[in-house]
Amino acid sequence: MRKNQWRVAVMFLAPYGILFGIFILLPVLYGFFISLHKWHILAPRPEFIGLRNYKLALADDLFRIAFVRTLFFVAMVVPVGNALSLLLAVGLNQNYRGTTFYKVAFYMPVVMSVAVIAILWTWIYSAEFGLLNYYLSQAAAFGHNLAPSVFPATLKPQWLNSPATAMPAIALMSIWWGAGGNMLIYFAGLKNIPRELLEAAEMDGATPWRRFWTVSWPLLRPTTLFCLVMSVIASFQVFGQTYILTGGGPYYSTLTIILYMYQQGFGLYQLGYASAVGYLLFAALLVFTLIQFKLLAVKQ
Amino acid sequence: MSRRGALILLILGALCLICGCGQKRASHKNGVVHLEFWNGFSGPDGTTMERIVREFNKLHPDIQVRMQIIPWGTYYDKVTLGLAFGGSPDVFVVHADRLPEYADRSALYDMDELIRSDSISAADFMPRPWNAGNWKGVQYAIPLDCHPIGLYYNTKLFEKAGIVDDAGRAKPPTNLAEFVDAAQKLTIDSNGDGAPEQWGYVFTWFRTNYYTYLSQFGGDLFTADGRKPALNSPQAQDSLDLMRDFIYNRRFAPSPEGQDAWIGFLTGKVAMALEGIYMLSSMESQEDLHFAGAPCPVFGKKPGAWANSHMLVMPADSDPVKREAAWKFIKYLSDNSLKWAEGGQVPVRRDILESPEFKKLTVQHEFSKQLPYINYMPSSISLNQALPFFDAAVEAVLCNIKPASEALAEADRRIGEVMSRQ
Repeated sequence: MRKNQWRVAVMFLAPYGILFGIFILLPVLYGFFISLHKWHILAPRPEFIGLRNYKLALADDLFRIAFVRTLFFVAMVVPVGNALSLLLAVGLNQNYRGTTFYKVAFYMPVVMSVAVIAILWTWIYSAEFGLLNYYLSQAAAFGHNLAPSVFPATLKPQWLNSPATAMPAIALMSIWWGAGGNMLIYFAGLKNIPRELLEAAEMDGATPWRRFWTVSWPLLRPTTLFCLVMSVIASFQVFGQTYILTGGGPYYSTLTIILYMYQQGFGLYQLGYASAVGYLLFAALLVFTLIQFKLLAVKQ
Repeated sequence: MSRRGALILLILGALCLICGCGQKRASHKNGVVHLEFWNGFSGPDGTTMERIVREFNKLHPDIQVRMQIIPWGTYYDKVTLGLAFGGSPDVFVVHADRLPEYADRSALYDMDELIRSDSISAADFMPRPWNAGNWKGVQYAIPLDCHPIGLYYNTKLFEKAGIVDDAGRAKPPTNLAEFVDAAQKLTIDSNGDGAPEQWGYVFTWFRTNYYTYLSQFGGDLFTADGRKPALNSPQAQDSLDLMRDFIYNRRFAPSPEGQDAWIGFLTGKVAMALEGIYMLSSMESQEDLHFAGAPCPVFGKKPGAWANSHMLVMPADSDPVKREAAWKFIKYLSDNSLKWAEGGQVPVRRDILESPEFKKLTVQHEFSKQLPYINYMPSSISLNQALPFFDAAVEAVLCNIKPASEALAEADRRIGEVMSRQ
């Protein structure tokens, strides 16, 4: 590149580069620096302790619990959420009437903030006054009249108050919340598939099912990779849902890594320890992302 | 918020700093001292406090107090950041159980000198609330109030169940036997489906309920020297088992329902609850609720009730002119704590407690009978770190997730680990 091209390039990059440097790069590096210290927010001087925070976090059974619970969440949300997004996108791609309405309807939750969504769903999940349990107990009562031995008279599961159901309930809510986002990306991916390929397959007598699996699905691979990587990262960072709905309970069953980090950093003001937890999550995410690239990347 | 939104906010913030919004406000202009007063009174108590502050400002033209209410949920984050990085208020409120954290790290002003040179003294206050403002022999705070929990009971349901005294008025239980008897009579399952329509008792806030039971059984969260956790004790186990018993064996309390529990009491579906005096205004605004207050029944070996206080404090590095003004303001709040008590608090000044005006506040007066033996959570810089484990253990037991012995041993171990990390 010629010299003044460099100058132009730098000038174009500068506005973003400076902000990126100040607000993302520096805090990230500073966070690593903090993680090497024992640092209560009110302490006059942080004490350098090397990698001790990392050692403590790895030995901390709550950190391990948080990690496992987060994995559980990811394992529910990523496959089901992506399958649902793809299904919705395929449906929207059929050129039915009124798809614009459905596009907007499915996308609507994505636009809402997590606080709104979470509070909305507390009223759906509430055991005593919740919408979900209202219909469940109506259904149970109906069944009970027909076959009293099979159906209970009332059915009111404590969705968010029982360790067995709390995390799946939060996962369900998150899937509903996020499905619209990936739906649009899959939809764009489907629109990018050359029509002539699909038509050729149709001429050869392929069923719609066959057309999808042998033409659309392989060509969607870059889209799938993108959606998977992004949703794995986003789901590992789940925070708002558990923070608002359960606060990590009951009995740590919805304690997620970012929530644990937040509790350490802001409830307990252990800045060094919280930063170390954040960096451990970063390391785990890096590994997961690399694995996905390895497995799914399109060979050039 | 999206990353871009955050960036825009940050840029605006930076511009604001450059333009001088961050400059320290002139503290005393034209002989008027301006004070910043922070607290978390975001409920009806905020209105009461605002009225008191307004009256103070009217009476003291040379001191103008500006009150900022920050909901408790984010209050301590803001106060801590202010104390750590500048921008702290001139007078603020901390709860008694959070005071050691700030006092131990030299963030609060030592009030001993001010108290000595003034007419105010420890003898004017009830000893327990006063001592809650003390850390390692230094007085850092003046208690504004005390908010113990006590027994709220629905008088209408009591009368209907025939739990009355000789005059035919609802009679609150005072000990375990009376309590169990009343709670069982008040639990009514009229259609016999196993899910009572009316419950005798409900656990609302686990922390305050359990700490009351625990204290009455003679247990505590930490050992007496405050160096180790003490939850792995027979007292801790017995008291938690008793609470569990109310739900799963005696079945006069519903299994925990989180947010719905207190609503149950407000709507008359539950006859008794142990809650803080600060709940008073939420009950008074509830139509058709006939209730009264009484000291907590004695479930264990001795009377006891969880309590906390709003403590008035100043930052360590305040300027002398402001400090003098702030001291006047603190004394004014203390002198006028009867007005504050009307909104649902127990005053801690002896003269106010003995005044006939206070005795007219019946619920506050009932709850204040507990002042000689109320139980503050232990004074410790580790308390705030230990409480999440304490809460989780109680939750696990009352939700029938783990037996008390296991949950308490686990909490004890984790608290020990956190304390050794300090």
